Amino acid sequence: MTTTHAEPVHGGLPHEPEKATAEGRNKVLAFWLFLGGEAVLFGTLFATFLALRNQTNEGPTANELFHLPLVAAATFFLLVSSLTSVFAIQAMHRNRPALLRNWLLVTVVLGLCFLGLEIYEFSEYVRHEKFGMTTSAFSSAFYTLVGFHGAHVAFGILWISLLIGQLARKGLTVVTAPKIYVSAMYWHFIDVVWVFIFTIVYLLGKVG
Amino acid sequence: MAAEQHTRDNGVKRRHRQEGPQKHIMVFVLSAILTLIAFAAVAAGGVNVVFAVILLLIMAVIQVFLQMGYWMHLKDKGHMMPIIFMLGGFLIAGTCIIMALYWVWWD
Repeated sequence: MTTTHAEPVHGGLPHEPEKATAEGRNKVLAFWLFLGGEAVLFGTLFATFLALRNQTNEGPTANELFHLPLVAAATFFLLVSSLTSVFAIQAMHRNRPALLRNWLLVTVVLGLCFLGLEIYEFSEYVRHEKFGMTTSAFSSAFYTLVGFHGAHVAFGILWISLLIGQLARKGLTVVTAPKIYVSAMYWHFIDVVWVFIFTIVYLLGKVG
Repeated sequence: MAAEQHTRDNGVKRRHRQEGPQKHIMVFVLSAILTLIAFAAVAAGGVNVVFAVILLLIMAVIQVFLQMGYWMHLKDKGHMMPIIFMLGGFLIAGTCIIMALYWVWWD
């Protein structure tokens, strides 16, 4: 097949710049090992939560506490942000740094919306529901699991924001591309963890 | 290895396989539908608990498979080691969860 595509000649940037150098390939591979470790970490927190979810110590129960519309909105923000980070990587593979930056910005903004909702949710629980970290075994397990995920979102926002800055200074190269790629993998993983959180913590908490 | 050669020579011979956004949008739509079904089933209320647990877990697992396969590219070539890493992680995570449930339910 010698069809010459009508694609623009990229200014020296390979098709998949994140895998163009040994360093880039190693970075992506090692990041997957890290994500495997993250899966273990969240697995232990899920295990703790599942063991303690009914130990409410006469404090609020999951069913009394959770408001599904808020959780649905947070879920929507994170799901869309995962899609926009796919678009960011596709823009990177087409060597379009400006489009890449814009999709990363959208991802960060959606992540901030999610984080804002979570902060609002936690503050409501603490102030109005008398549901603090030390209220019950359920509350400790809840805040540890969901808060740890929220901390990951906050870290991802900071990380991707810094990468946007680096992209502006250094441009899209075989050095910056692997960093952007692994940050997108991290962001997808956060969304994957959230799928389990809204299912196991919130929806099953409502069911009983 | 062949794919890496293609990316390195950076020339016209390189066979482009630029994937479009369609598949990813499809994964998004499917994820949104699975999420909606899960929320709707709980919001409607009155569902049998065992049925709800099974339904919700199936919805979640399908969604996770879709997103990890397409958005994280695990279905693509050259991802054997990442799959092994993730399966290893999920295996240990699952062991912890089963341990905790066993500990609570059948002590």
